[in-house]
Amino acid sequence: MSDTATAKNPGDVFRRNLWTNNPIFMQVLGICSALAVTNLLTNTLIMTIGVVFVTGMSSLTVSILKSLMPRKVRMIVQTLIIAFYVIIVDLVLKAYLPTVSKSLGPYVGLIITNCIIMGRAEAFAQSNGPILSFWDGITSGMGYMGVLLAIAFVRELLGFGALFGYHVMPAGFVPWIIMVMPPSAFFILGVVIWIGKAILNKQGELA
Amino acid sequence: MLYTVVFTFIVCFAFVFLLSLTNEATRPKVEFNQEVARQQAILSALGVSFSTPQEVEQKYKNVETVKKGNMTLYTTTANGERVYAHQFSGQGLWGTITGVLGVNSDATKTVGLEIISHSETPGLGGRIDEAWFKKQFDGETIKNGTIQFTSGGSGDTNYQDGQVDGITGASRTTDSMRTIINREISNLQAALGGNA
Repeated sequence: MSDTATAKNPGDVFRRNLWTNNPIFMQVLGICSALAVTNLLTNTLIMTIGVVFVTGMSSLTVSILKSLMPRKVRMIVQTLIIAFYVIIVDLVLKAYLPTVSKSLGPYVGLIITNCIIMGRAEAFAQSNGPILSFWDGITSGMGYMGVLLAIAFVRELLGFGALFGYHVMPAGFVPWIIMVMPPSAFFILGVVIWIGKAILNKQGELA
Repeated sequence: MLYTVVFTFIVCFAFVFLLSLTNEATRPKVEFNQEVARQQAILSALGVSFSTPQEVEQKYKNVETVKKGNMTLYTTTANGERVYAHQFSGQGLWGTITGVLGVNSDATKTVGLEIISHSETPGLGGRIDEAWFKKQFDGETIKNGTIQFTSGGSGDTNYQDGQVDGITGASRTTDSMRTIINREISNLQAALGGNA
């Protein structure tokens, strides 16, 4: 991760977080939610938007407070900041998108435990300025979002024969039950990591 | 040391304060949503159709609550028929399933089922909340005091046979629903005095 810490310009940060140091297939963080909420595209999209928001805002806040923060309690304070934004997302969903909030159930609350958010706060926001940290948080969230949407695309297509709830497969299509269950996300995630690393390897980006 | 304590205290105070503000600001909206969701569930279990929140509010005015035995029932007249509904909750595979089941005046027929909350696996047991599953209870005849759940299928449209389709890949949730629904039916029959 020393690689990421040295990225100082927005373009580099963007490229690293979305591709060469993607949180999912390079850092292998945030896997729990990649398994749990990827069987429907709509839920995945809304949850990952939540993650993008929380990662961005908490990195921004941590970066602003970093010089005031005593080292001993910095982890606790980071967790507090992350939890704060997650609860805001949860309340906004409950108030304005009740049906989505209902179908996401406990998963919004579980954004707090997403390792990517704390990872970025620790690895980047602690040692960089607020604006760049915010950008780093947003792009990390987007790297996560991209991979999760790709997994959800395959799972919803094969598990329900649908995309965003609309049936797209021919009438005779038999849904693959395994795609609805968490284990399928393991397989697809494995394939995604494989493809991602293979391409990076060809480009000579892997040391 | 003192600085650490003071800093932690101030940060906690500030964030919790902001959270309380947000909570207060969104509370009326959240409560309103919950109330509308509850009324909608009761209306659809009673077999009353509606399309807008205004219509829900207006039609819910015709719903009364009555006490029968030790159950509090919702009742209204839908399609010229007296119907009753009761809110139930029971153990699903992963958590509590809460819903409303509606029956006719002597509990020989269900008129509607609505799920308020559940925590079953999305896409498997979670399909109890899908229209095809709930629609099976729109006028299903109760035979010998029970409704049979047959395995698999994609919705049983025969409303005379006292049978509904369970959910493929979710046998445990189907089992739970069978237990919950049939317990609910026997309670309702006891309360309403029907014996089919």
